[in-house]
Amino acid sequence: MARRDGYLPIRDYAAIGDGRTVALVGSDGAVDWLCLPDLDSASVFAALLDSEQGGRFALEPSIPYDTRRRYVPETNVLETTFTTAAGTVRVTDAMTLPLRGLTPYRELVRRVDGVAGEVPMRWVVEPRFAYGSKRQPFNRHGGVPVAANGSDAVAVLTWDAGRAEIDAASVAGRFRSRAGQSSLLVLSAAHQEPLVLPSRDGVESRLDASVASWRTWAGERSYEGPWREAVLRSALALKLLVFAPSGAIAAAATTSLPEEIGGGRNWDYRFSWPRDAAFTLQALLALGCGSEARAFFSWLLHASQLTHPRVQVLYRLNGRDDTHERELPLAGYRRSSPVRIGNGARAQLQLDVYGEVLAAAALLAAFSGGLDRDHGRRLAEMADLVSRIWRRPDAGIWEVRATPAQFIQSKMMCAVALDRAVALADGGYLPGKNVGRWRHEAAAIRVYVESAGYSEPKQSYRRAATDDGVDASLLLGVLARYDRPNAPRLVATVAAVRRVLGHGPFVHRYLADDGLPGEDGAFIACSFWLVEALARQGRGDDAAELMDELVGLSNDVGLYAEEIDPASGDFLGNFPQGLSHLALINAAVAIAEMS
Amino acid sequence: MIWGALIGGLLGTVVLTTVMRAAGEAGLTRMDLPFLLGTAFTEDRVRAKLVGYALHFVFGLVFALGYWAVFATLDRSGVLVGALLGLVHALFAGTALVSVILPAVHPRMGTGFDAAGSSPLLEPPGFMLVNYGRQTIAVMIAAHVAYGAIVGELAARAA
Repeated sequence: MARRDGYLPIRDYAAIGDGRTVALVGSDGAVDWLCLPDLDSASVFAALLDSEQGGRFALEPSIPYDTRRRYVPETNVLETTFTTAAGTVRVTDAMTLPLRGLTPYRELVRRVDGVAGEVPMRWVVEPRFAYGSKRQPFNRHGGVPVAANGSDAVAVLTWDAGRAEIDAASVAGRFRSRAGQSSLLVLSAAHQEPLVLPSRDGVESRLDASVASWRTWAGERSYEGPWREAVLRSALALKLLVFAPSGAIAAAATTSLPEEIGGGRNWDYRFSWPRDAAFTLQALLALGCGSEARAFFSWLLHASQLTHPRVQVLYRLNGRDDTHERELPLAGYRRSSPVRIGNGARAQLQLDVYGEVLAAAALLAAFSGGLDRDHGRRLAEMADLVSRIWRRPDAGIWEVRATPAQFIQSKMMCAVALDRAVALADGGYLPGKNVGRWRHEAAAIRVYVESAGYSEPKQSYRRAATDDGVDASLLLGVLARYDRPNAPRLVATVAAVRRVLGHGPFVHRYLADDGLPGEDGAFIACSFWLVEALARQGRGDDAAELMDELVGLSNDVGLYAEEIDPASGDFLGNFPQGLSHLALINAAVAIAEMS
Repeated sequence: MIWGALIGGLLGTVVLTTVMRAAGEAGLTRMDLPFLLGTAFTEDRVRAKLVGYALHFVFGLVFALGYWAVFATLDRSGVLVGALLGLVHALFAGTALVSVILPAVHPRMGTGFDAAGSSPLLEPPGFMLVNYGRQTIAVMIAAHVAYGAIVGELAARAA
């Protein structure tokens, strides 16, 4: 399996998780990314971002091999089959879900089943705590190799996987996997408590139970339309990004996978963006995930309580807002530096957020037949805020780090926010004393957008009042119902996005300067937004044709990153990316509804 | 004096628990006394914490009675004597009580003779509790000295 400078292509990774954290497993069997105990905690394995210092859990045949991968159907349990000249082995990887009883705080299980012949295997565990900065030695506790750093510790337990040899800050072994035999390797992790050293029976039970649990969850999904397999895989990918203790949904499982190889557009996406709220609720409700939808919305309003009525751009998964950005001394994926943790976008003003939050509230109210009274009061106060601040320049949906501008998509979403507030108040879900003002300001926004926000020469809504460029975010004017989907200017804008920003199935976000050096790839979510916009405008055949192409662009296990390089097809940006999968689900649902 | 010692035991356990939790949050130790105590009775994490906290406070009162017996024997109490007893208490816990006796009686804690077998095992604490973090013993001493000082002071005030 070819690594380039120690790195696999991003599309060669698959994700496993337990609703608290996510591990990325490479096609060569190496776990190159794992944060413990939670998704937004410091990493223990980060070879993804520094192949020498980051740490990994490698497991592979010690002779040349080919691999084939799949998820165990309808689960987030991964199977990698290694085929060698000496035989075949299958590795099953899972972050187990806890059963009743004393289970490790977090548990990564790797089971090796001999399928044919006798295959020599090797493994090495190199934990590097605190994003690779702490190289702690292994010691044996109760006979088990343990490495600890402060209040965190990992233990490596193996059965029929050779003798575990400790070499300073790593533990390694070799064994032969024979047909019909099974070996087991387990990473048990503790945080602020003693390690739990599980039994083999317990591990096997949890692995089986995890498969059953994922299957039960997948079986409850209600979608029966076209591209069902891709939609279900996207649902499972999203479920990996749901932080079970709070209901928050992370934007992605990683930080600093680059939008341009060797470039500096490297951001931490292990946080939850309220901006994604409406997309998220639309997708979750379409899939019959009512409890997840309610949990996410409750989390959102709980997290934003301290900044109310202002909604911050992003929050930590536990609801805290301490996401200060800093750089780490890691080499970066294929020398793409800096590696950042935290996210500086937290301090930006992004007006579109309010449209997404109020649109989400409207979806939830329609689904649940009501809204919590306190939530209603707070949403009304958000609408009041939008009435006051919509004229301000902002950073826009793409979080540009150039000077704030009058982004037209932001204004559209402010109008959507006030539209939804009016509708909710008319339905008795919000206090309605300011409805008159909301209507008046929504009308004023539309006057502004239609006078300053449309370019006749480009036949498209503008990127910003002072920027005549086309911007793929304007597709959301159709999706969020800023106007009728077939309103002439929206039809023209969708055509302009495809004409100016599209290359085959790929769609770039914009072509303008955004205050950062370098260029990024095509934004996968934008392609799916284009599908949905075409479907909503009644162009079902065009939408379906494009959808077919896009579904074929996933990696071998059905996952998407944030972006894709149109020339090479390589994935770029953080992975797996929630927004890409949300957009896929909503696009498929739109086509199904329209047909 | 006995009521002073008991109230001191209750208050001292609150302070001890707070110090230990804060040390865990600060990354100094993985020692979790309620978790260790509770898992002796149940494998359920949530129940273990609840049972563990209840037992932890009961033991806090029982140890306060032991301190009171020492104060009565010495016919001396107060912050200094209490703190000294707390130091002895912490060192005893690190060298024997938690590192040797608890693993011997705890049904789910490993000893040097165990490997992971048919039931899950808790990582043994090791001499001076070093397996739970090198600073664990320092945290234990600080927490127990505070506990002893509070028991000693309140016992003296009630005398």
